[in-house]
Amino acid sequence: MIAIDILTDAFFAAIAAIGFGAISDPPLRAFPSIALLSAIGHSLRFCLMTYLGVDIATASLCASFAIGMGSLVLGKHIYCPMTVLYIPALLPMIPGMYAYKIVFSLIMFMQNMKVPELQQKYLIDVFTNSIVTCSVIFMLAVGATFPLFLFIKRAFSLTRHKKI
Amino acid sequence: MNSPNQLKDITRFLLEYANRLMGSGVHTSRVIRNTRRIGKSLDVDVKMSLFQKTMVMSVCDNESQEVYNEVTIIPAFPISFELNSELSALSWDACDNHLSLDALWEKYKYIISRPKMDPLCVLFLVGFANASFCALFGGDWTARIIVFSATLIGFYTKQAMQKRKINHYIIFVVSAFIASLTASSALTLNTTAEIAIATSVLYLVPGVPLLNGVIDIVEGHVLTGCTRLIQALLLVLCISVGLACTLMLISNSLL
Repeated sequence: MIAIDILTDAFFAAIAAIGFGAISDPPLRAFPSIALLSAIGHSLRFCLMTYLGVDIATASLCASFAIGMGSLVLGKHIYCPMTVLYIPALLPMIPGMYAYKIVFSLIMFMQNMKVPELQQKYLIDVFTNSIVTCSVIFMLAVGATFPLFLFIKRAFSLTRHKKI
Repeated sequence: MNSPNQLKDITRFLLEYANRLMGSGVHTSRVIRNTRRIGKSLDVDVKMSLFQKTMVMSVCDNESQEVYNEVTIIPAFPISFELNSELSALSWDACDNHLSLDALWEKYKYIISRPKMDPLCVLFLVGFANASFCALFGGDWTARIIVFSATLIGFYTKQAMQKRKINHYIIFVVSAFIASLTASSALTLNTTAEIAIATSVLYLVPGVPLLNGVIDIVEGHVLTGCTRLIQALLLVLCISVGLACTLMLISNSLL
């Protein structure tokens, strides 16, 4: 049962990455790698959060680090810069649901001006969701960029056709 | 050694190259690195200062120490990862094979004139992507199908409006409104309506500038990074305005 859960998560993440990546016009040869990276990253985050109880920011950091390392490995074979592979792969992990909840709570906050108890509840919702959204986006970008600092020479020459 | 006229021609090419990279959503440090790499292969030293809308470039000949300086305005191109990787490859090509300026222009023009992905294909891919997004957030099959159709309608509106070159803030507000309004039809059915409404606008989230902004800040280009983040946040705000309009209309049935 657990294996099926993980596999469906990976499958949907791969489709989401391909679709959202297609908006930004990546090279055709990059699509399989993008799907693979996204599936690995998203299912890793899913496992960490569901089975090990890690919080969403830390789990995102681990997943995006894995995606970053993967893009370093796969990028060399298809001559694509790291960002071309990892940005589309990270897109499904951007916490859209939390961003939606910020808007929703803001609206409800404004509409309940006369009920202080509800206002308190929605204000806390606004803060919680904003903190989660911001920290997850930051962690995603930092985790995926980190391999670039670790392997700076390899990361800068991914699109080089000549063998050194 | 390059004559003053040659130096000018080289600068013009480098400006066009850097402009294209910057406009199509490449993070700042890569733009600078690639441009300097081409400059090095042409025997000049390139220093550049980048802002969101303008770019200052000064090109110095290594032998004669003559400097040519120019400011340029960065146009807005659609984000393209294909250009990102192909133009990066061009810079390594120039570095390894010492291409002449004419050869560089020829290859550059070939790369930017390549056909893009078919809009219809993108439309359906985005639809499936958003539907699977709905699945990731725990929506059931009815919700997924509703999100799929809402995304098709919303994204089609966006493409049609982009063709008419309408202001992109208006585009974002309108397509977020239309997509979420379509998805709110889920309220009439017995399904996970809230998830459907929330995910129906997620195809609009400007993920590339958001991530690029953080990457820029981490790599030390704080100014361009902040600009990108602020622009992305404005777009997110536009999405929220569109979504808020729908929520106002339906808030009674949602609670």
